[in-house]
Amino acid sequence: MRVVALVLPISALAVTLAIASAPRTVNGRYQRGEPTGTDAVTFNRDIAPIVFRYCAPCHRPGEAAPFSLLTYADTAKFADQIAYITEKRIMPPWLPAPDEQKFSGELHLTDAQIHLFRQWAKQGAPEGDRGDLPPTPEFTPGWQLGKPDAILHAQKPYSLPPQGTDNYWNFIFRTNFPATRWVRAIEIRPGEKRVVHHANLLVDRLHSSRSQEKHSGEGFAGMELRIESDTFDPDSHFFFWKPGSVPHMEPADMALRLDPGDDLVLNVHLQPSGKPESIEPTIGLYFTGQSASKFPFLLELQNDKVLNIPPDATNFEVNDDFTLPTEVQLLAIYPHAHYLGRDLLASATYPDGTTKNLIHIPRWDLNWQAVFYYEDEVILPAGTHISMHYIYDNSAANIANPFHPPQRVKGGNRTTDEMAHLWLQVLPHGTTTAPEQARLLLQESIARHDVTRDPEDFAAQYNLGAMLQSKGDSTEALRHFQAAVRLRPTEPVANNALGAALIAVGNPQEAVAPLLRAIRTRPGYAPAHYNLGNAYASMRKFDEAIRHFSEVTRLSPTDSMAEANLGAALAETGNLTEARRHLERALRLDPQNTLAAENLVEVKRQLASSQSR
Amino acid sequence: MVAVLFATICLPVALLVATPPQTAPNHVFDLQGHAVDPFHTAPGKIVVFLFIRTDCPISNRYAPTIQDLSARYSKQVAFFLVYPIASETPEQIRKHLEEYRYHLPALRDPELKLARESQVRVTPEAAVFSPDRKLLYHGRIDDWYVEFARARRAPTTHDLASAIDSALSEKSSSPTSAPAIGCFIPGLT
Repeated sequence: MRVVALVLPISALAVTLAIASAPRTVNGRYQRGEPTGTDAVTFNRDIAPIVFRYCAPCHRPGEAAPFSLLTYADTAKFADQIAYITEKRIMPPWLPAPDEQKFSGELHLTDAQIHLFRQWAKQGAPEGDRGDLPPTPEFTPGWQLGKPDAILHAQKPYSLPPQGTDNYWNFIFRTNFPATRWVRAIEIRPGEKRVVHHANLLVDRLHSSRSQEKHSGEGFAGMELRIESDTFDPDSHFFFWKPGSVPHMEPADMALRLDPGDDLVLNVHLQPSGKPESIEPTIGLYFTGQSASKFPFLLELQNDKVLNIPPDATNFEVNDDFTLPTEVQLLAIYPHAHYLGRDLLASATYPDGTTKNLIHIPRWDLNWQAVFYYEDEVILPAGTHISMHYIYDNSAANIANPFHPPQRVKGGNRTTDEMAHLWLQVLPHGTTTAPEQARLLLQESIARHDVTRDPEDFAAQYNLGAMLQSKGDSTEALRHFQAAVRLRPTEPVANNALGAALIAVGNPQEAVAPLLRAIRTRPGYAPAHYNLGNAYASMRKFDEAIRHFSEVTRLSPTDSMAEANLGAALAETGNLTEARRHLERALRLDPQNTLAAENLVEVKRQLASSQSR
Repeated sequence: MVAVLFATICLPVALLVATPPQTAPNHVFDLQGHAVDPFHTAPGKIVVFLFIRTDCPISNRYAPTIQDLSARYSKQVAFFLVYPIASETPEQIRKHLEEYRYHLPALRDPELKLARESQVRVTPEAAVFSPDRKLLYHGRIDDWYVEFARARRAPTTHDLASAIDSALSEKSSSPTSAPAIGCFIPGLT
């Protein structure tokens, strides 16, 4: 009797609780919408479907997120934290505001879903009826798109220090396929997922990033990449990785061309974890036998020039606008700013005057940047005006501010600089012209737009020059290459392009100086040696031509054209035996080299006639 | 009938009442499973507890900071790492200490007794006690994190170091606190 008396208040409490919760069940099953005053929320019926869809892709063993959310026990432990973090819309990480345009893989929770998490936590995170539990999601282990056609490994791991700020490292993957490959997807396995925030892969056809490696194969630091190209071959595809994402697979007829020897450069955003980490990414390539017949284009709006943000400015605006010269299908969008970006908006004003948001990120966070693919077909007709409107916050209230106290921040590539970029992956439709013409028209328009916005923009001048050169307009190209070289007098790629344009307009004498500048700043720069060989050959200075063509054959032993030209120059100096050797080698390297074939016939004829004499 | 019902419900409660005398109040455990009194092992010293867990990315990122701070004050202050998650085994904790290069004594607080006494709620969170076990400070280490997944480039305040300095100079009288950002410790709400 004494025992009973002692615990009476506690047992009374337990009984009361049991009575209070009783109306939630009907015949032992939880019923939705029972008029109980407070809605009963259970894991199995209400929470699991949300958690499985929105959280588990990352919150599961082996993935980027810190703990697993695949079972009731795992999730219940975090009930309060989940309620808190979803109410604050910190998780799941999803930057775009809900809008007319839908993106694939959207992770935006509705207010009602968030309310369910809070109710569930308040009610003590009940499990509910086992019969309500949806099947545990099944995830593909390993490569998300299946076994890749080719797997490339980083040459050397990067050692991430345990402490410090965000860290950016670039790995160069040297490809060595015997022939051109058409790539539909590249899956990025970034290494230790818990420290990799995102990764971005770019094609470097000219190996222009290699010079940034102190030792070959070790990679290099840097937040932004600048990839050079000497033919106008614009970026066309995004290869982006973020935690929990399945890589995007392009349609078979829209694959990326990968030429033998092209480099792939992986830019990785890392966050120190508290312990030393070794980062060793792997990439998997998925090919198609079909060569591309559709050529998307990464349309870039940007306005870094006006980025000059005074300290404490909370509302610094940056805009760029571009009018489409041709109809396009908008496939994907990638807004990009650094740590001061606050509100990022891209919109389209259609020819009929209506305006739609293409994407709106009301609370930018660099850590969760991503490429967003449109769920439905988005057509932007010719004459559509695309606007980029970004707002920056350089106050101390912006906790991402790299400076404390705030300092003036300008545009640039370092993490402490700022950027205002917007990339749109578009497929030019060209309703009236062929798609290829539409694409060229679009490229030229954006290049002209860039030069008009900022004539002091080196890259813009160079790109417009390259664009014009590729369509055969050497005279106008020359003007822009000259402008580029005026802006960066020792820049090797621009000097080389200027030299090439001067040769093309029949002025090899003037081409020599910029070409020599190019190899002075970048010794071993094969394209400049090749052009110098051509310039000297045009001036009938064959000894110099031979010297430079020989240099190219040494630097690029598989360059059939260099061998052919070397052969031709040797023939001009009367060294027919050597000429024949190089022309034969040119043909071995490329049996389709008609110039080499024709010259070889001629050289052999001359050799035969000199022997018969 | 009523008497029977009472008896079954009362049984576990009666057991609970009986258990506390088996261990001294507010004891925590070392990795060998022995109950220890951290105040007893460092008599006369300021005692700092750092509540962490093996799987919380925020507390893990603080590992170098915690180690540096403890080294800086090692002469005057006794630092303890406290793992408040009951399911984290001594083996997991040993591995964690090694991975994150901790050279600090580690305690387990599976019943959250020390966590409650320290008034902490998340990991990482610090508590500073006087040698006579008076709570002087509890809260964040610094203001590096402002929110989940939102960290400054570098902290602008050093709350734990300030609290230790005050404790050492015996300036502070009433306990202070600054809210910590981190992984909620289940069972404390």
